[in-house]
Amino acid sequence: MTVTTSSLARLPRPLGRIRESIPERFAPYAYVAPFFLLFAVFGLFPLAFTFVISLFEWNPIGTKTFVGFDNFSTLLTDPRFWNAAGNTLSIWVMSTVPQLIIALGLAHLLHAARLRFANFFRMSLLIPYITSVAATAIVFAQLFDTHYGLVNWVLTLIGGDPVNWLAGRLSSQFVIALMVIWRWVGYTTLLYLSGLQSIPREMYEAASVDGAGGWRQFTSITVPSLRPIIIFTVITSTIGGLQIFTEPLLVNPTPALTCGAARQCQTLTLYLYEQAFGDYKFGYGAAIGVALFVMVVAIAAINFALSTRLKGSH
Amino acid sequence: MRSKSRLVAVATVALSITAALVGCSSNDSNGASASKDFTFWSFTGINAKADVQAYEKAHPGVHIKLTEVGSSTDTAQALTTALAGGKVPDLVLIQGADLPKFVENPDNFVDLNTLGAKKIKSDYAPAIWSQSVASGGQVLGVPTDVGGMALSYRKDLFAAAGLPTDPAAVSALMPTWQDYLKVGKEYTEKTGKPFLDNAETSIFYQMIGQGSQQFYNNKTRKLDYDNATIKTAFNTSVEAVEDGLSANLTSFSTGWSAGLQKGAFATIATPSWMLGSIKSNAPDTSGDWAIAKIPGSSGNWGGSYLAIPKRAAHVQAAWDYIKNSQSPTSQLNHFLDSGSLPTTVANYTNEKLLAKTDSFFSGAQIGKIFTESVAGLKPFYVGPDSAQIGTDFQNAIINLENKKVSADQAWSSALSSIKQDVAK
Repeated sequence: MTVTTSSLARLPRPLGRIRESIPERFAPYAYVAPFFLLFAVFGLFPLAFTFVISLFEWNPIGTKTFVGFDNFSTLLTDPRFWNAAGNTLSIWVMSTVPQLIIALGLAHLLHAARLRFANFFRMSLLIPYITSVAATAIVFAQLFDTHYGLVNWVLTLIGGDPVNWLAGRLSSQFVIALMVIWRWVGYTTLLYLSGLQSIPREMYEAASVDGAGGWRQFTSITVPSLRPIIIFTVITSTIGGLQIFTEPLLVNPTPALTCGAARQCQTLTLYLYEQAFGDYKFGYGAAIGVALFVMVVAIAAINFALSTRLKGSH
Repeated sequence: MRSKSRLVAVATVALSITAALVGCSSNDSNGASASKDFTFWSFTGINAKADVQAYEKAHPGVHIKLTEVGSSTDTAQALTTALAGGKVPDLVLIQGADLPKFVENPDNFVDLNTLGAKKIKSDYAPAIWSQSVASGGQVLGVPTDVGGMALSYRKDLFAAAGLPTDPAAVSALMPTWQDYLKVGKEYTEKTGKPFLDNAETSIFYQMIGQGSQQFYNNKTRKLDYDNATIKTAFNTSVEAVEDGLSANLTSFSTGWSAGLQKGAFATIATPSWMLGSIKSNAPDTSGDWAIAKIPGSSGNWGGSYLAIPKRAAHVQAAWDYIKNSQSPTSQLNHFLDSGSLPTTVANYTNEKLLAKTDSFFSGAQIGKIFTESVAGLKPFYVGPDSAQIGTDFQNAIINLENKKVSADQAWSSALSSIKQDVAK
C-alpha cells in the first residue's frame, strides 16, 4: 500500500500538467532560436540597415545626410555602374556556361567503369577548390603577364603576337572567368558524379538493348536524371558569379579597386567596395548593394520559374 | 520537472550565445590597462616591432600592444571602420596618401595642439607638417618619415648606351624633365629599349609634386586641377609614352619586378623607401645601380603620420610615445638603422645622416641626395579628392600606354573621369 500511495503522489495533478506543457510547447522554438538569433544579427539586420544607409549621404567618419532616393537616381545614370554590371554579367556567362559543360563531360569520363585510379582523379579534382583564391589570382596574374608571362611566351613560341591580357576588356574578363572555372569545375564535377552514380545501370542496359548509342543515352538518360543537380549548380554558380570579388581585386594589382585603369574588369562588388571603402561613400556603396540584391533576386526568380517548368515537363 | 530543466538549459545556451555576440563589441579585450600602457596600430613590413621594443626597453613599465594591421591602405580602412563605431587604438600610423580624408573630418582625432604640439612644431619641415593640419587649425598627426625622391639608374645600361655613369655627371645631365626626355630619347634610339619603368609614376606623379600648387588652389582650397603645372606634367608623360621611352610596367606589378631583374628599363624615380623594394625584387642587380638627383630636384612620395583617435583611452601615453620616438635624435637613429628619412629639419644638416651611403647602389650618398630633395619642397594644399584626381590622371596615362586611348584623347578622358569623381 505504501508503494501505491507514494507512486500516486508522484502522479502529476491535472493543473500542474497544463503548467508544464507551456515550456514543452516553447522548447522547440528555443532549440531553433540560435539560428534565428544569429541570422537576425548577421543576416537580416545588415540587409535592412544597408537599405537604410542607401537613403543617406553617409560618410563613415563624417556627416550623414538623408537624401531619399538620390543615390538610386544617380546610380541609374552612372556609366561606371552600368560598366560594372555589364562586366559582372559577361564574366558570369564566360565562367558559368563552360564550367557546367566541362564538369558534365568530366563527370561522364570519371564515371566510366574501367577507369584506373578513379579515386585519385576524383580527389585531385578538389585541389583547385581548396587552394586559396588569393594564391590563385597571383599565379594567374603571373601566367598572363604581358611581358614575362608563360602564356605569352608560348604564344610567341608558336609564332603569335603577345597579348596584353589584363589591359583588354574581354581578355582580362577571360582570365578572371578562367580562374573561376579552374577553381569550381572540380566541385561541380563531383556533384554531377554523385548524381551519375545514383542512376541505375539497368536503364543504360535497357537502352543498349533498344539500340540507343552513347550520345542518345547521354541526352535521354543522363541529362534528364541529373536535372535536379544541374538546376542546383546553375543557381549556386549564378549567385556566386554575380558576387565575384577577390579574383578581379587581385588579378590587376594597380589600380586594384577598379581592376585596371579603364575599369575593364571591375565587377559590381568591386565597384561597391571602391565607392564605400575607397571613397568613403557608404550611402552610394549601399545603393549599389541594394541594386545587386535586386538583380540576384530577379535572376534567382527566373531560375526558379525555369526549374519548376523543367520539373513539370519531367 | 524534466522539461523545466531542459528549458533552463536552452535558456542558458541562448543567453551564452547572446553574451558571445555582445562580447564581440565589448571593450574589456583591451590589453592596455595601466595608464602608461597603450594600443598601437601600424603597417606590416616596416618593422614596427623593433621600434616598439626599443621604446619599451628605454621606458620600463610601459607596455605597448602593437597590431600590424596590414598594408597602409588596410590600416586606414580598419581605422575608418573603427572610427565609425568600434574599438579605436590609442595610437595609429597613417600613410600620407590616406591622410587627407581624415584631415577632412578632424573631429575623429585628438587635436595634438591640446597636448603641446605647438612646442615641437618648429622641429619639423613645414611642408610636411602642414599636410596634417585641418582647416580649423587642428593638428592631427606628427610626420614620422618622408619619401624624399631621387633617380635610380643602371650604370651598366647607361655605359652601354654611351651615357655618363658618374652620379654627379648624370645629375648634371638632366636637371629638368625636358633634359630627362632628351637623354631618354637618345638612350632608346641607341639601344632600342625603354628608358623608364612607367610614365605615370616616374614622370607625372613626380612633376605634380614639384610645383607650389597641385589640384587645389592653396588659398581658396577650391578645386583647380585643369592648370598649367598639371598639363605640363601630363604632356611630358604623353611625350615619353609616344616616343617609346616607357616600358609600360606599372609600379609594383609582376611585370615591373621582372623588369627590374632583367634590366628592362634604365631609370626609375625612386622614393627613399623604394630602395628596399628594388633590393628585394632584384637582388642580383647589386652594384649595377647608382643614384642621381631627380629631375626638377625636389620631391616627396609617401611618408606617414602618427595620430591619436578622439576616443582613445590612453591619450597621454600615446602622446609621450610620439614625442619620444619622433624627436630629432630618435629620427636620426631610426634613419641610420632603417633608412627611413627624417621629417625633422635639424637632421638635414646632420653629418652622420649626410655621410650615409648604400653599397647596393654603388655607394650612393643616399643621406645627402634624399634630404636635398626634401629641402626644396614647397607646401601645397592636399584636399579630400586629391588622391582620386591623381589616380584618374595616372589611369589616363596607363590607358595610353596600353593603347586604349589616343594621345589626343588622354587628357580629356582624364578630365571626364575626374568630373564624375568630384561630382558625387
